[in-house]
Amino acid sequence: MRTPSFRQSMARIHGWMGLIAGWILFAMFLTGTASYFRPEITRWMQPEVRATPATPPVAAGSAFAYLQRTAPQAARWTLYLPDQRTIATRVFVRDGDVVKAKPRAKRPPRREVRLDPVQGTPLHARDTRGGEHFYRFHFQLQLPHPWGRWLAGACAMCMLGAILSGVITHKRIFVDFFTLRWGKGQRSWLDAHNVSAVVALPFHAMITYTGLVTLMVMYMPWPIVANYAKPALFASEAVGAAPEAPRSGTPAPLTPVAPLVATATRAWDGSPPAQIVVTNPNDANARITLFRTATDRLSARGGAITFSGVDGHTIASSPPPGPAARTAAVLLGLHLGWFADTGLRWIYFLLGASGAAMVGTGLVLWSRKRVEARSGVWGQRLVERLNVAVIACLPAGMAAYLLANRLLPADLPGRADLEVAAMFYTWFGLALLGCLRPAWRAWRESFAIAGTAWAAMPVVNALTTDRGLPHALAAGDRLFASFDLACLALAALLFFAARKTGKARRTVSASPTRRAEAQNALAHAG
Amino acid sequence: MHDEHDRTRPPRGSMALAGRGVTAAIGGYAAAAAGCALAARILPLPRVEATLWAMLASFPVYAALALWAFHTRSPGRAMALVWGLAAACTAALFLLGVRP
Repeated sequence: MRTPSFRQSMARIHGWMGLIAGWILFAMFLTGTASYFRPEITRWMQPEVRATPATPPVAAGSAFAYLQRTAPQAARWTLYLPDQRTIATRVFVRDGDVVKAKPRAKRPPRREVRLDPVQGTPLHARDTRGGEHFYRFHFQLQLPHPWGRWLAGACAMCMLGAILSGVITHKRIFVDFFTLRWGKGQRSWLDAHNVSAVVALPFHAMITYTGLVTLMVMYMPWPIVANYAKPALFASEAVGAAPEAPRSGTPAPLTPVAPLVATATRAWDGSPPAQIVVTNPNDANARITLFRTATDRLSARGGAITFSGVDGHTIASSPPPGPAARTAAVLLGLHLGWFADTGLRWIYFLLGASGAAMVGTGLVLWSRKRVEARSGVWGQRLVERLNVAVIACLPAGMAAYLLANRLLPADLPGRADLEVAAMFYTWFGLALLGCLRPAWRAWRESFAIAGTAWAAMPVVNALTTDRGLPHALAAGDRLFASFDLACLALAALLFFAARKTGKARRTVSASPTRRAEAQNALAHAG
Repeated sequence: MHDEHDRTRPPRGSMALAGRGVTAAIGGYAAAAAGCALAARILPLPRVEATLWAMLASFPVYAALALWAFHTRSPGRAMALVWGLAAACTAALFLLGVRP
């Protein structure tokens, strides 16, 4: 057997790595892309919320008042203050002890409440996970911790390998930028894969690598183990927060927060805090740490200041980060895109969608290449079914999640979980139903159902809320108008896909010469 | 361009392929983890900086090792080098101990 060339061996790895991780990567790309509009999706999913915006000191003060009433003896409060894109103050309460008695000790789960930023009272709105659901699914895959994150990491690593081997495989990177031949079966899929990959290659490489960086402390903790006898110290050195102290047991009233917000904002040249963490409130060891917002700069870590929770004096201020810490923070910022304004956010969205397109066309190409050569091998059938299940049925599932938000009664108990269930039942149910149909019909019908579901969104929204498209346009409600228009655009794209997939299959099966060609190509490959 | 592996290859070839796969996926991780941990331990930088640089570098290193393990001529060579690197770096880390 002759030794394969470097390019040949890279091509082989590219194909297999892409196949193994492809389905999960497609789902990660699609939900991750949606997550660039995480706060907007949450706002769309709580149409009754129209709170007045509050300044950071007001929001922090009202949230503190609420927490003093409801959880004065908690171990930790974590507050996310509202900004231009969010309405509510998000508050998390952790009971028990901040410093765990045993490292493996199980802690009670933390509770989340969304507050009106001015009143400091829980928001009266339908219960929903909002944009958080897509965001969490994007890297946790709805699996128990830590398995979802590990699986996502393994797939991201395959993606990194597939990008590197793909670039090596690809000898005509510039020419393929301009090449897209429609209606030529496998050749068209290869062109589509190349165009979507090449056009946005820097983005795909960046988003894959920075995605791994977001969870690198989990994926690659060994450098920490080599340098720190107490790994917790790394976190405080890297993020700039003072190490946490245990509860002293001596009661002490908590200092007001508004002056601390003002002090921190001055120290940060006018940038407000985005997050506030309070440990041991109403104790002599109380500490209040303010984290600077990351919406006004590329870096996702703006530094932190820790105050005493008793008298408000500054205990620690994060030192200026070194080159590695700044690099890591910028990589994190590039992935999260918090800095992006509306225009850039849409570009992020389109590039993310191109990533899904690249993975999807790659998957189709893998199976099409083999189907055209010889059909009937069960492995190929499985691949084709899984392709339909993920590429065509996941968009339908995502639409079902949003439609369930409008169709379930607003005061139904457990409705947030039902919304999530609607996504998975629709997704997997449709995938199973598709198995009863010939593959090309399953493609077309699943895409058509997904398209119909997205097209129904503006209609259902107009019927169930007072913020439908005509009203939103008239009232200048940009968020709701954009959401409806985006749904219609998605529906158009899915109907287009339904048309194309149905057609391509029929031309292929009608052409015996192409089958012979494909068989020939596979016989010579590898 | 995106070739599948040769379907006429004898079973011995698929054993070798499995060996390469395990070496690339698990050995590559072990070697990248141990190598980057060692680099973090001995780089003459403040420890938070050395740790972060090593973590940032670990993913491209892992990817490169995995691809190389698939490409290099003999599976035996791939296994020996990747696992050898992991073992050597781990041994060095144990000898050095945690940074004081």
